[in-house]
Amino acid sequence: MMNIVEVQGLTKTYGGVHAVDDVSFTMESGKIYGLLGRNGAGKTTIMHMLTAQMFPTSGKVHVFGETPYENNRVLSQVCFIKESQKYPDHFRVSDVLELCPVIFPNWDQQFADQLVNDFHLPRKRAIKKLSRGMLSSVGVIIGLASRAPLTMFDEPYLGLDAVARALFYDRLIEDYAEHPRTIVLSTHLIDEVSRILEHVIVIDSGKLILNKDADAIRGQAYSAIGHAEKVESFISGQETIDRKPFGSLLAATVLGSLDPESRKQAELLGLELTPVSLQQLIVHLTKQKSDRRAVDFR
Amino acid sequence: MNRIATVMKIHAKDKLMWFIVPWFLVLLPAFLVNLLIGWIAQPENGLYTGGLASIFVCLLLIGISTLTKSFPFALGLSIRRMDFFLGTLIMVTAVCLGISVVLSALSFVEGDWGWGVGLHFFNLPYLSDGSFVEQWWTLFATAFHVTFLGFFIIAIFRRFGRTGLFFLFPVIFLAGSVLGFLCTYFGWWTDIFNWLSGHSAAQLASWLFVGAVIYVLLSFFMIRKATV
Repeated sequence: MMNIVEVQGLTKTYGGVHAVDDVSFTMESGKIYGLLGRNGAGKTTIMHMLTAQMFPTSGKVHVFGETPYENNRVLSQVCFIKESQKYPDHFRVSDVLELCPVIFPNWDQQFADQLVNDFHLPRKRAIKKLSRGMLSSVGVIIGLASRAPLTMFDEPYLGLDAVARALFYDRLIEDYAEHPRTIVLSTHLIDEVSRILEHVIVIDSGKLILNKDADAIRGQAYSAIGHAEKVESFISGQETIDRKPFGSLLAATVLGSLDPESRKQAELLGLELTPVSLQQLIVHLTKQKSDRRAVDFR
Repeated sequence: MNRIATVMKIHAKDKLMWFIVPWFLVLLPAFLVNLLIGWIAQPENGLYTGGLASIFVCLLLIGISTLTKSFPFALGLSIRRMDFFLGTLIMVTAVCLGISVVLSALSFVEGDWGWGVGLHFFNLPYLSDGSFVEQWWTLFATAFHVTFLGFFIIAIFRRFGRTGLFFLFPVIFLAGSVLGFLCTYFGWWTDIFNWLSGHSAAQLASWLFVGAVIYVLLSFFMIRKATV
């Protein structure tokens, strides 16, 4: 598979602050990526640099094998939907949608019209007068209907209600199946998107801390639930990342993969084993890192 | 080319700013008020007014607002800076052409007739001297200059942020003061005024146009490095 994004040693500094710090990764065509991390981790900055809306302090960015800066061959294949997208004051929803077919070569008008109806978006209303959720749905519609070979959604569902978010995921999956492309979802609502992500890149404080296939990550940890004593004996000697006692029970999350032997042991002890959610794992990874940093500072 | 046309389309969607405000909300009221004054006062030597300047102030503001709103929008939609710049340049040129042609025509209509009340609004002494082409050139070059002056100021903001403007204005003020002092000290003022009065409006307009071309070039280099 071809790498459509190649980032090497990407760094962006503001004054003395490293917003993005020596990040390297690649993205393949036809995959759904999750660019995850806490607020202010540097996700948006990275995507701004991928689209040449910002300039890296140092490092290399190649998109479709070329530098994206002032490059229509690259930019015409990229659609970046950002939460902070500005629209001219007087623009109505229909004005924006009219411009899209010229900008995005793969634009599907029929699909866009269908989405406008699905999201109940008033075409004639001024963008300025849209509610936060409606504004987000404008971005979602552009991002989906553009069918750009590289589509990036940066916090696309701010203010969208649960129904609209579910609609977004459904349409995304359906359309992705028919028209495979590379999609990047940047969000901190990890649980909601975890089922559709194929590959996860986690950024924390500007640094890349995880870059793995989603399935591989899910197999990286598991939870054991049962009587506290039995759980304790089961997890002794293993790296425990989370423990939640309730009453005489204990739920412990353990790092590592399950081999058949420990499965058998757990069965004997009457413990219930469950896979851990992506969110739990990432929360753990990012928390662990900042805890360590707090220690360093002391 | 497609994308340059898209940028022009983005601009053209704002008919209010480009067409309605300058003509109907700025120039027309200014004209009507002066017409009313002329009709009531009936001055013997005719009524001369600088109301025409209002449309040029309006163009300055248009130059400013193209870069504040449309630029981040266009960049966010994967449009190159270069395409945004060229589209804007063509749009501004077209609008200035339109404005200057219509103003020249109105000046011709006004002539000595003065709308029956001796009003001189479009046809002004000195400014409207010379051939029809010279009159048109004066208006076009001035319009083009003020629009790109606004554009240039905001290009500095886009490229260097608030600090850029913060430094720019004191520097301009300081340079102006020093220059003014030098002119007084060496007695250059008379020469300057002689030079100015020795040229026709159309000739001075050519200098304005040269200034505008410098704004365009400098803005271009700043936009190339501007971020959102």
